Amino acid sequence: MPGLLDPLVVGPRTIRNRIVLGPHETNLGRGRSISDRHVAHYRRRAEAGTGLIVTEEASVHPSDWPLERAPLAEECGPGWTDVARVCQAAGAVLLAGIGHSGGQGTSHWSQRELWAPSPVPEVNTREVPKVVEPDDIAAVVAGFADAAALAVGSGCDGVEVNAGQYSLARQFLSGLTNTRDDEWGADRSRFLVEVLDAVRAAIGPDAVLALRLSCDELAPWAGITPEQAPDLAAALVSGPSRVDLLTVVRGSIYSAGATRPDGHTEPGFNLELTRSVRAAVSEVTDGRVPIVAQGSIVDVGQAAWALESGAADAVEMTRAQLADAALVAKLTAGLPERIRPCVLCNQQCAVRDNRNPIVSCTVDPATGHETDEPALAEFDSVGGDGARSGSGAGTAAPVVVVGGGPAGLEAARSAALRGRRVVLHERDDRVGGLLRTVAALPGRGRFGALAEWYEAELERLGVEVRTGSGIDPEVLDDFIAAGSEVVWAVGGTDGVASVELLDGAGLVPARLVLESDPVGGDLPDGDVLVWDPIGGPIGIGVAERLADSGRVVHLATQDFIVGNELARAGDLADANSRLARAGVVLHRRSLLRAVAPSSATLEDRFSARRVDLDVVAVIDAGHRLPTGEVPAARTIGDAVAPRTVHEAVLEGRRAAVGLSG
Amino acid sequence: MSDALIWSPLQIGPVTVRNRIVFSAHLTNYASDGLPSEQHAAYYAARAAGGAGLIITEEHSTHPTDWPYEKLIHGFHPEVVPGYRRITEAVHRHRVPIFAQINHNGGQASSMYSRLPVWAPSPVADPLFREVPKAVTTAEIAEIVESYGLVAAHCAEGGFDGVELQCSHSSIVRGFLSPATNHRSDGYGGALEHRARILLEIVAEVRRVIGPDLALGVRLCGDELIEGGTTIDEAVRVARMVEATGQVDYINTSIGVATASLFMIEASMHIPPGYSMFIPSAIREAVDLPVVGVGRFKDPLQAERALSEGQCDLVGVVRGQIADPEFVAKARSGFTDDTRLCLSCNQECVGRMGLNRWLGCIENPATGREALGVGRARPVRIGRRVLVVGAGPAGLQAAIAAARNGHHVTVVERSPVAGGQVRLAATVPNRAEFGDLIRNQLNECGRLGVQIEYGVDATADEVRRRDADTVVVATGSTPSRPWWAPAEAEWIVDVRDVLEGAVHPTRSVLVLDELGFHHATSVAELLADRGCSVEVVSPGMVVGQDLGVTLDLENWWIRAGSKGITQTTELVPMGVDGHTVTFQHHPTGTEQTRSPDWMVLAVPSSPADGLYHELRAAGVHVHRIGDALAPRRAHAAVIDGERVGSGIPAASGVLAGR
Repeated sequence: MPGLLDPLVVGPRTIRNRIVLGPHETNLGRGRSISDRHVAHYRRRAEAGTGLIVTEEASVHPSDWPLERAPLAEECGPGWTDVARVCQAAGAVLLAGIGHSGGQGTSHWSQRELWAPSPVPEVNTREVPKVVEPDDIAAVVAGFADAAALAVGSGCDGVEVNAGQYSLARQFLSGLTNTRDDEWGADRSRFLVEVLDAVRAAIGPDAVLALRLSCDELAPWAGITPEQAPDLAAALVSGPSRVDLLTVVRGSIYSAGATRPDGHTEPGFNLELTRSVRAAVSEVTDGRVPIVAQGSIVDVGQAAWALESGAADAVEMTRAQLADAALVAKLTAGLPERIRPCVLCNQQCAVRDNRNPIVSCTVDPATGHETDEPALAEFDSVGGDGARSGSGAGTAAPVVVVGGGPAGLEAARSAALRGRRVVLHERDDRVGGLLRTVAALPGRGRFGALAEWYEAELERLGVEVRTGSGIDPEVLDDFIAAGSEVVWAVGGTDGVASVELLDGAGLVPARLVLESDPVGGDLPDGDVLVWDPIGGPIGIGVAERLADSGRVVHLATQDFIVGNELARAGDLADANSRLARAGVVLHRRSLLRAVAPSSATLEDRFSARRVDLDVVAVIDAGHRLPTGEVPAARTIGDAVAPRTVHEAVLEGRRAAVGLSG
Repeated sequence: MSDALIWSPLQIGPVTVRNRIVFSAHLTNYASDGLPSEQHAAYYAARAAGGAGLIITEEHSTHPTDWPYEKLIHGFHPEVVPGYRRITEAVHRHRVPIFAQINHNGGQASSMYSRLPVWAPSPVADPLFREVPKAVTTAEIAEIVESYGLVAAHCAEGGFDGVELQCSHSSIVRGFLSPATNHRSDGYGGALEHRARILLEIVAEVRRVIGPDLALGVRLCGDELIEGGTTIDEAVRVARMVEATGQVDYINTSIGVATASLFMIEASMHIPPGYSMFIPSAIREAVDLPVVGVGRFKDPLQAERALSEGQCDLVGVVRGQIADPEFVAKARSGFTDDTRLCLSCNQECVGRMGLNRWLGCIENPATGREALGVGRARPVRIGRRVLVVGAGPAGLQAAIAAARNGHHVTVVERSPVAGGQVRLAATVPNRAEFGDLIRNQLNECGRLGVQIEYGVDATADEVRRRDADTVVVATGSTPSRPWWAPAEAEWIVDVRDVLEGAVHPTRSVLVLDELGFHHATSVAELLADRGCSVEVVSPGMVVGQDLGVTLDLENWWIRAGSKGITQTTELVPMGVDGHTVTFQHHPTGTEQTRSPDWMVLAVPSSPADGLYHELRAAGVHVHRIGDALAPRRAHAAVIDGERVGSGIPAASGVLAGR
């Protein structure tokens, strides 16, 4: 069985290894074109050794404008040329992602009706699309052909046609969204077959035609099921269009978050589906068409297993390469343990959002900011930083980092990478800070893996880590007098909810609940209330963990919905389902007014009606507080203002870049 | 009302305004890469051409730590100056003064775009952005003050006639003024004099920079409508302090906090006009400076009343001039019937802002598209005979756009009145203003000579008999019956059946909301008012999901509560047995049942496209717009109509060179 680093024949091309950077929305475009920021983003991965890169999907027809910066194929020619040039020069094969979102788009940018096979509104927008007429279908098919011809003419090695999550092609394939009574309804594959045929005719035999196909719509009543998908896939790839590569994905209009879910879903969730599709495709094509596995594959061990066990011929590791652009280089160097782990949080990389956030990464803030964030030479080539590690162990005064949470860890790591001698002081008996605390939340265990990665990196880089070493701000002057630059990263402190406290009652910070073993073990027996004014992952996760232990858990928020801030990462609907199944009692539109030793008072935001809950504890999942800046040092992370891991890492990196010398 | 106060000039420091109507500051999302655009210039110029007394632009950010939304103008970059000049020259061409609003949003922001800590007086997370800010040091306060001066200098260089400091609803100055967000114990916190210190420092710095020739205004919030926030007494005291500086020329007012009580700042039609006039009234009593009042001013008479009653010296009319740039000119010339009245629906102005989209208007397709020339007349030499089928918002707009260019337009409508679903939507409690959409369109049709024939059943034969050069089908949509609702269950009806009076539900009513907008909530209120016991169910996480973007969700909850309407979410109808409806609670997969006397459906409609397909099959070239194309909301109908109507070319004789 082949390994991840073995080459793979993909139609007329050979990719140098089996690791794929899949198509992902970036918001890096200028207007609807592929920009210099895209070029830098893809280039960084190609130069680290990625085998195959598929660019962000471009709409093939003006009737599709799903995101403000969604590329439009007819405006992508020059951008595709630039991306292809740099990626191919670095040895990667480059495909242009092309597609049409159909009824899953939005009319807000085009100010035109959406196009879809049948008038089925998308669940979230509830916008009823126009039923496409034969002329429209012909125009979209021609759009696919024109886009493909332009991509290949611009220098791309081929195209990937999207029939996955957000696609008109899938809407035609699916009984959920295609209720037509004409020829495109009688044969729901017809549209996609027309597209594939037209694309192949446009690009000829010497370019790659790849297909991205939803093989499980997670809606068995009418959608594509895992049982039907192998035959469907086999039929599509064995047609006259001669598809060269097939990527197996899942998801439909009822499961937007399922294609690229966060850490609540097991990595590699698609592998068995992929295996069965591969078997069917292999049978009809004699193994000619390689199959790519997709779906939260973020560890090279699992990726290798996917190949070894015959589930797939290649693996999309998109988020893993957003977290560590040098993933392939480290693997090639035989140093997989040095790959910075993707934590599967989706907090920075999920950018299908009205606000047009630029793709980035919680653990690598330079991702998506390749052109504007000062670069840190991290792993330019195999072992590229090895020579520098510990090289600063000379006589110069060390950089002193106070605090071993994510901000301090990144500051220490980056300073060491810059060749500086670094001493890190951590008050506790091990580094990691809140990374280890949040790792106790459901679906966020990988934050613990990040702490361990930092620990190992610091050791490798020769950073002197002094645990059990709390530093008073007053002694900083001594460090400075000795010539050290000091980075102050001591983190934040528990917040104080503004609520009336009766009879000596208090709130329990969510942090304490998560840090006790088992989670919540320090709480008295009885029902509890989680007060969640943020609506992020913490309050909900704490409620879930406590409900798991068999307690009655109440969860209160001032918002209309629970988990108000989870939509971007894709966990909103799932989180609500999990809470409902766990029997967590939800109190929406509620304000926490008073806490007594065995009760809490909530007030309805609109009616002002109050309700007393008999609870033995109220857990505060609200905002934390800063511990404040220290003038003598560079203060970073939660000490300045408690935010997420992303900001901590970003400020740690910048602190190191900003060191003198 | 030619001798009215509203038309009398007023001196604002060094600037004279010719009337009292202000196009006051509001976000537009027209900026690109932090710079003002051509669209800004065209947008403000249209309102200047329409006679506004004074224009105040949207905010210009003073500092890189301030970047709460993507399309903010970065006033601190010197690159903004050419764009400023483009704006001011375009407005000055109409001899209208224009001020720039300058601001730092403080803690009412996130670091998403700036990738810097958010700055605020104290580490109090904003209720909307939910990011704990950095408490600024005194050195950083000095930097903020200086940054206001820098931006004021850019504004002066860019040709503005004055600057306004937004200290009111989303501002670091508001953050300092408000006891809710200022917990400092240094010289910038505690007593009001301390909380106001940064404001006074900024006033001094900005005046120092702009000198005596530019006007300087301060916009204050009279009531934050949040717990522990600023209320009118403190606002009045701050206004006195501002006046006492002797460096400020006017005071503008506002109500609410943009990130906490926005629904009271940009109030929809459910909030009475003039609701916030207690604020300018109180401030005007305390100071001699001219005071601007705002708050859903829809017509000039209302503005005149506020002026003559001494509530304010100037009146801010924003949405009224978004809907009709000639609001002032039409009022001045006495043709108030011609005014395209704002509906206060908030759908395409406020509603698009929150979604990071450019500002538009439900009934004015030119808004936000001025620079592209949308809505401008392009007369044809020989007009076509255009037949529009359907007098809903799509058909009427197509007629307007075609007639504007010189075509000869006839609209045929099956029913005895125009308006389609808009007419129905305006019959429910507190939604009457929505009907102004049709009033405005009919007035415009009248001025443009559009013929409207009512009671015409436009069959394909009838359309062909009329032998028009161009046919536009705008036949709307019809209620659809979901698969699970048996036809014989006559107690299950559509919202339209209720609003048309075809049925009269009584006793217990279950309303199903699959549209997430006003349909379900409106009918629920109507029936609750008639004495029904009403429950609204939705498959979504909230009833009326999109009411949030039009700022109607909060007041819906208040009204629903007072009317005893209950709301249940995450229920999907699965079937009907006798008089019992079965739902699935989709998060858990469990079943629930209801057995109401009536069930009212707010579900997606079906396009009424029979005529279109019949004509196409017969080889007639036709256009199809509005719900007949795809059932959507009113703005889509208007945009479709504008696009198709304005795109009709001259009669073919011209093309043939005859």
